[in-house]
Amino acid sequence: MRHFFVEPFQYGFMQRALVVSLVIGAVGGIVGSYVVLRRISFFADTLTHTVFPGVAIAFVTGHSLWLGALVAGVASALLFSLATTNRRVDDDAAMAILLTTFFAVGVMVVSRVESYTNDLLVLLFGRVLTVDRADIVSTVAIGAVALCIVGALHKELVFRAFDPEGAEAAGYSPLLLDIALNLAVTLVVVAALQAVGTVLVIALLVTPAATSRLVTRGLGTMIAVGAAVGMAAAYLGLVISFSASVDHGVRLATGATIVVVLTVGFTLVAAATWLRRRPAVAA
Amino acid sequence: MIRSIGDIARSDLLLRALVEAVVVGALGGVIGVHIVLRRLPFTVMALTHATFPGVVLAGILGLNLIAGSAAFGVVVVVLLWVVSRRRELDTSTATGVILAGGFATGVLLFSAQSGFDRDLTSYLVGSVLTVSTADVVATAVIASAVVGALVLIGGPLTFSAFDRIGAEAAGVPVVYLDLAVLLLIELALVVSVPTVGIILSVSLLVAPAATARLWVDRIGASMWLAALLGATAGAVGIVISQAAGTAAGATIAVVAGGGFALSVIGSPRHGLLARRRVAARSFAG
Repeated sequence: MRHFFVEPFQYGFMQRALVVSLVIGAVGGIVGSYVVLRRISFFADTLTHTVFPGVAIAFVTGHSLWLGALVAGVASALLFSLATTNRRVDDDAAMAILLTTFFAVGVMVVSRVESYTNDLLVLLFGRVLTVDRADIVSTVAIGAVALCIVGALHKELVFRAFDPEGAEAAGYSPLLLDIALNLAVTLVVVAALQAVGTVLVIALLVTPAATSRLVTRGLGTMIAVGAAVGMAAAYLGLVISFSASVDHGVRLATGATIVVVLTVGFTLVAAATWLRRRPAVAA
Repeated sequence: MIRSIGDIARSDLLLRALVEAVVVGALGGVIGVHIVLRRLPFTVMALTHATFPGVVLAGILGLNLIAGSAAFGVVVVVLLWVVSRRRELDTSTATGVILAGGFATGVLLFSAQSGFDRDLTSYLVGSVLTVSTADVVATAVIASAVVGALVLIGGPLTFSAFDRIGAEAAGVPVVYLDLAVLLLIELALVVSVPTVGIILSVSLLVAPAATARLWVDRIGASMWLAALLGATAGAVGIVISQAAGTAAGATIAVVAGGGFALSVIGSPRHGLLARRRVAARSFAG
């Protein structure tokens, strides 16, 4: 047991990976709760893809990846608002097109570089095992800003989620609240870049909160349990992928392992909820 | 280096790529009309990602990759269909979980098998330049079958998209139509994924149809226009990618997205500029 759960962390790179994964798991679970409440999973998924060209351009030109991601994320959120002012354009069609177009621009940029394949995969899937101290500081700082945003606007965001008309009538601007939440989501995506890459961040934003929602009633508990689920999956994913490669010689991508742990957890919880509810329906 | 359309016509490889891109683009436009109408873009996104484990498994077992992705795709289709009818979680959240979980499973299997390499990249962003004549023929056959099926069930499909309750009352098997649409989308993805990749095939299945909606109002007309737009995006994308030396699938997606962006702003009746003009006129009058 000790060998499996504790010993991997005698290595410095595993300690750093653990810190980054736990931070992202917690922040993803918390911000993700608002994503699930507002039912904007697709928007979150869109942002995870639209930050990619920013990262790719920053990577090619040697600028900060964080900055590139942030600029692209904010730009795509603004373009989305602009496109959907046209009433012939549905939200989900606009998102799908923004997502694919931005992502394609990123692929085009990276495809001009020589070592194309390898770079693309690092940006897409992350490399949690190679994070350094500076990465940890950036992840924690960006995650903290995201938490401050949702923390400061908690009441307003919840009001907007459950009663959009009421919130607007009470004088809260839906546009500003949406922008605030979008910004928080963008920050989580940026923070998680190094650990799980752009493609799998969506799992950290949706799955912990969705799992938590199945078993909790109050909002506070939902957020707390969501954070706990995110952290537990981050930890388990890390030790499983370590043990698989060190003890069994099977290489498992760390980010993907974390996500699969999350999905298995969600499936088990969903199945249990469903089985427990069935007798009630029959009666 | 290939610089002109004449050069493309003289190269078998590029000619095949061009035909493949045009057929896939046209197919994406036609089925895209129903995707946009039924608000299924996120479902399509989930379908492309969650089908990934099927491709990896087929690779490990030495089976045909397209067959593997199709078989696994049916599983995902049924899963999405079942989930969309349950009430514990809203559909978009459940779709997000399926998307991420399915894709991660594929990445996991892939990393366990051989480490990351070129095959994964070509699956992600497509490799239209490597299609064989047999691939092109298979694409054309599947595309005709999908379009034929859409024409057959087009009436009830459109009815149920606009007025679900009315269609149900009129005896249209709405729930099974949902399933049929998902299966047709899956078939379209089976041929488009090798061309432009999993992420960018979503572009061909959504952008031409959403663009067409900005220019024409009738469903039938928008299907023709979307097919034309999709085929054009495919052809123009291939030509530009050859001239500029960029990834073909990505270039096609950028062309399709660019066409949409221009139409959102400049379409004569539904564009943002036109609307501003109308607003200004009614304000003045």
